[in-house]
Amino acid sequence: MSTLVDPRQAQTFRFVRCGYADGVAELVYAFDDGPELVERIRFPDAPELPEARKPAFDAALHLLHLVAGISYYKAGVPERIEVGTGAPDAAGAELLDALYLHGLAEFAYRNKLDLRGRIAFPRGSSVLGSGSRPKAAEAAIRGQELRGRDDGEVRALGLPHRTLIPIGGGKDSLVVVEALKRIGADAVATWVGASPLIAAVAERTGLPTLNIGRELSPVLFDYNRMGAWNGHIPVTAINSAILACAAILYGFDAIAFANERSASAATLEYEGQSVNHQWSKGWAFERMFAAYLRTHVAADLDFFSLLRPFSELAVTRAFAKTGAAYFDVFSSCNRNFRILGPKPSDRWCGHCPKCHFVFLALAPFLPKPRLLSIFGGNLLDDESQAPGFDALIEYRDHKPFECVGEAAEARAAFAALAARPEWREDALVARFREEVVPQLGAASLAVESWLAPSDEHGVPARLAGALDAIRGA
Amino acid sequence: MTDSALAPLAPDAPWVVLKFGGTSVATAGRWRTIQQLASRRRAEGHRVLVVVSALSGVTDALKGLCACAEAERGAAVAQIVDRHRELVAQMQLDAVEGVERWLASLQALVRDAAPDRLAWQAAVQAHGELLSSSLGAAFMSANGLPTGWLDARDALRARELPFLNERARMLSAQVLAEPDPVLSARLAGAGEVFITQGFIARNADGDTVLLGRGGSDTSAAYMGALLRAARVEIWTDVAGMFTADPRQVPGARLLQRLDYDEAQEIASTGAKVLHPRCLSPCRRARVPLWIKDTQHPGLDGTVIGPQPAESAPSIKAISSRRGITLVSMETSGMWQQVGFLADVFELFKRHGLSVDLIGSAETNVTVSLDPAENLLDSDVVARLAADLAKVCRVKVIAPCAAVTLVGRGMRSMLHRLSGVLAEFGRERVHLISQSSNNLNLTFVVDEGMLDGVLPRLHELLVRAGALRTDDTSLFGPSWQELYGKGEAHVRTPWWHAERARLLRLAGVPPSPHGRGVGGEGTGEPAGLVGSEPSPALRAPSPRGRGEAVFTPRYVYHLPTIRARARALRAMRSVDRVYYAVKANAHPAILQALVQEGLGLECVSPGELDAASAAGTAETPLLFTPNFAPRADYAGALQRGMTLTLDALHPLLHWPDLLHGREVMLRVDLGRGLGHHDKVRTGGVTSKFGLPLDQFAAFLELAREHDVRVVGLHAHLGSGILDASHWPLVCGQLASLADRIGSVRCLNLGGGLGVPSHPGEAELDIAAVDAALAEVRQTCPQYALWLEPGRWLVADAGVLLARVTQTKRKGAIDYLGCDAGMHALIRPALYDAWHEIVNLSRLDARADTLYQVVGPICESGDVLGSDRHLPRSAEGDVLLIAQAGAYGESMASHYNLRPLAETAVIE
Repeated sequence: MSTLVDPRQAQTFRFVRCGYADGVAELVYAFDDGPELVERIRFPDAPELPEARKPAFDAALHLLHLVAGISYYKAGVPERIEVGTGAPDAAGAELLDALYLHGLAEFAYRNKLDLRGRIAFPRGSSVLGSGSRPKAAEAAIRGQELRGRDDGEVRALGLPHRTLIPIGGGKDSLVVVEALKRIGADAVATWVGASPLIAAVAERTGLPTLNIGRELSPVLFDYNRMGAWNGHIPVTAINSAILACAAILYGFDAIAFANERSASAATLEYEGQSVNHQWSKGWAFERMFAAYLRTHVAADLDFFSLLRPFSELAVTRAFAKTGAAYFDVFSSCNRNFRILGPKPSDRWCGHCPKCHFVFLALAPFLPKPRLLSIFGGNLLDDESQAPGFDALIEYRDHKPFECVGEAAEARAAFAALAARPEWREDALVARFREEVVPQLGAASLAVESWLAPSDEHGVPARLAGALDAIRGA
Repeated sequence: MTDSALAPLAPDAPWVVLKFGGTSVATAGRWRTIQQLASRRRAEGHRVLVVVSALSGVTDALKGLCACAEAERGAAVAQIVDRHRELVAQMQLDAVEGVERWLASLQALVRDAAPDRLAWQAAVQAHGELLSSSLGAAFMSANGLPTGWLDARDALRARELPFLNERARMLSAQVLAEPDPVLSARLAGAGEVFITQGFIARNADGDTVLLGRGGSDTSAAYMGALLRAARVEIWTDVAGMFTADPRQVPGARLLQRLDYDEAQEIASTGAKVLHPRCLSPCRRARVPLWIKDTQHPGLDGTVIGPQPAESAPSIKAISSRRGITLVSMETSGMWQQVGFLADVFELFKRHGLSVDLIGSAETNVTVSLDPAENLLDSDVVARLAADLAKVCRVKVIAPCAAVTLVGRGMRSMLHRLSGVLAEFGRERVHLISQSSNNLNLTFVVDEGMLDGVLPRLHELLVRAGALRTDDTSLFGPSWQELYGKGEAHVRTPWWHAERARLLRLAGVPPSPHGRGVGGEGTGEPAGLVGSEPSPALRAPSPRGRGEAVFTPRYVYHLPTIRARARALRAMRSVDRVYYAVKANAHPAILQALVQEGLGLECVSPGELDAASAAGTAETPLLFTPNFAPRADYAGALQRGMTLTLDALHPLLHWPDLLHGREVMLRVDLGRGLGHHDKVRTGGVTSKFGLPLDQFAAFLELAREHDVRVVGLHAHLGSGILDASHWPLVCGQLASLADRIGSVRCLNLGGGLGVPSHPGEAELDIAAVDAALAEVRQTCPQYALWLEPGRWLVADAGVLLARVTQTKRKGAIDYLGCDAGMHALIRPALYDAWHEIVNLSRLDARADTLYQVVGPICESGDVLGSDRHLPRSAEGDVLLIAQAGAYGESMASHYNLRPLAETAVIE
């Protein structure tokens, strides 16, 4: 067993191999000749994979291997990337280059690294197996690799008309759940990893559930303790690739994420590069990933966000109308995410950007006592929370690194509350009226302007009725 | 089954009304209990009227039936039919005519549904009770207790109240229940035992009406009043009303006697066991109301009756209500405006909102609205605020909670409430209301404050002598004793078995009979001892001028410490346990804990020396100082200890010292816990821990100076008895650790509480372990550490003292002893409660209420207030229990008295 060397010293990040058997996918990586980093994805009660879907599954698995490597790659960010399982084709390499560059932008910003020009996945056959692999095995793997599909797109597999809805315990995926229920779509609520909170929310949906297990390599934790690079990774991209495998394995023809329009907005600009905390929830990633799945995995697999045309405010409005069943169980708070309990403070820390934003964005659409009962307190009547809300509205500060709406939306929500007698005297609403509004000038603060959907989305026609359900909620 | 050969009842035999709820009538087994209880009352010479609710869940099912779509009604009725027929079969009855009749009538109602008519809804919902009572009559009659069926609607006539709307008149009607001799005579002529329905009555038009929430209790009260019953017994699943909600305060005591007003107040301000509506019919007819536990019929329960002739004023209960909304209205000079309040209240009326509490000032009126669905789910508050905004500045404050103290003569007890007031003083109190009937005092605070505060307030009230739990005629056993696991009481402290040895250690020579002490016999009349020296002193004594001094003396029981250490080591979710040396640095204790495999946590160079002396090379040592000088850190680093930082200062000013090192970081999660201000170690008012808003800056500095954060630590306070606390801390620390990457372990601190008051439950270590294991699944990469001090050693130590003098001053008996605040400062410093016993007279009756005080020249030198002890005399040995932690280690030479002696029991 090799001794651990700080991955920041490594020259090469290696995609060693990946495989699938008995419901478990193994994804193996390494830095230089260091120990293997093995990540396992567990698909519960996995059915026998139909012969006809095997090539598609292998393609999805290979994609997952390359996407999920980002958790490990970032520990060292070495110069070279080596794909021992066969380099992706041009489209694949483009997708991965973009994902690694933009998905790690916040990571790079925080760690004061510049990844531009550093991330270059090998294309075509430029880099192949590690050399130690027998030729025959290598050839076998190459047969299923991403490379070599440039000439023609994959065919439709006749996947069943069923939708996977990844849920995270927050409001967005619940709006998707309720909208798809309303049009009678056959859907399953799914999530990756153990979370009592998500499990409780999933149960409340009344839908069948699928909880996929994910175990990171313990070696990564050892590296972290040695001081490896660490920080934000685009986890939505990894979950997307896991669900692509699941769709082929279990038979689903749609994966319906819940990413809003605002997820595409950059958090900040840093030395000429835009940094978006939610890049893998954005429209650019969705389009690239969906196109890749259609052309390389299965022509009839739809990957999309049902909330793409909508602003955060349009989504919170829909949640206020259709989400009553979840008011005492959902949470978007990342700080208290591990904890599940009956009290609001078990689910909402009340101090993080997520709590601030969800509170503010729901406020115009819910009776005040109801909103306060959800959070167990009034965040807008607490002067010590002023800096947090200032960040949301980009007053004196930039937007926080969290999945929250655009500053203008937050300002519109504030303006709506400032006009409401039951809110206007609360400390931070009063402050907004007196201090912030005079500086905003004539900019539009109307909530209504945020409620109209845009046309930019990838929702397939057969599920488009769900968009109307959200619009009309 | 029943002895039918009972003597016939006298013509004027009194009635007893027994009421049973939905779960009590849901199975054949529970019906047997009802029959036994009814038979017993009959055998005691009473006429019996049983009032029953619908089978549990049936009323909801009937409500659902009223609301559901036409297509679904058939299936809904079928379910209700099946449920009752199944129970008939389970009761081994043939088809019951009464049951079939009501099932048929229900089906007929549903066929001719008129869902929009309230009368139809009431008629449908009444079937739950009509069915259950018919079932009961058949069952009891078939099993040897002839039971007549009474249609409650023939007895209870709804009042036509002009201020009630149609909905209230039909679905929560009121009945004027005046004693009705005709009815009682008619029933007495027809039989001895009857059963009837709760929840239903009839109006003047002959329609069935409902009595609303708590309707069955109210029916029983009405029936008791009509029949002028000897009493109404409400049979339920708890023994009665408690001094607090037992789910929140396991130490809450059973209230054995209450007057109607107090009971009404407690029921209205939070207690769920009894609906407040059922008290006034009983009060008007002066019918006592008993609450009894079906599962434990032998328990006394709560007896509610007229005000007792005399009893000491006492708080009876502390209750709380959540979900309260406040509306605060501000205007300048409202008193100059004639009719301002009238205008404002008119707006509340217009929006259908009922105001509960009111507080007013020159320029402000604040009122409270009780929780209601329409507040939460309609825009009524927004509309109200819009109207109010036209006449004043309005602010809507929510969610709030009302904490209410209930007791007759509240104003005369205010002086005892300083501790409680101090507790509220730390929070935002929006409104204080003292009821005009002098029965309650209510504080309205932010709802978030309520979490965990009730047990503390309850304890403060007991300690302050405001809630006189020592009056055993009013206050019964604690909920914990009655229904809990009872560990707090099963456990006998180690010192009971070591009594003889402890007396010798206190300087009492063995008696000639080998029993060690005088005064031991329980029957020794107090008069014989009186103020004379106790017999022990009359025996040859080593005490005397110039001779050895035995007390005050700490005695430590190592087996207890070892057992505690093993219990923690057995926790599967905890990887390492450090003992917080500050609790007690006695070398024998440190050695014992090291032998048990614990690490040692130190906060000063002195403690490091003690730990090094006791530990081996393998003993893990942790240095966790606070505001310590640089030299302390330098010294600890030289010894190779794991260092915990809790401020930016060391990284900012001593980077050279820390460069390249690994450190733990203590964070302040922003809130504190514990039984006293001075033991809370989280929150801005505490000096410990790095505030979270400096977390990023700390990491930045650490990176700059190549200091690696390998562990996170939080310690929120002491004396925490809630098992969910540590998993919460663990989750929050793990979330923070995820942002660092280099963290290996999470130190969840200590604070494991040791119950001190009788009735308090032990901290359930297995529950902590299980809850931690669950959280751990989500963050397996971190090792978990615990760092308890007090939990390991408190119970293992006792402080022995000898009585010096007694004094009576006014109504107060002082008992002086040679251990004062110099030996044990916790009572003076933290208001800590230590059990005190007279070891010389352990079995004698505790007939005297003492202030137990020490010899130090400070008014605060009080070890225990209002303690019931046997009448004691000079030379008696007092034992102050749970003194193993923060006793000897906090002792001083104050008044130049020497430090306490110590002894160790292996």
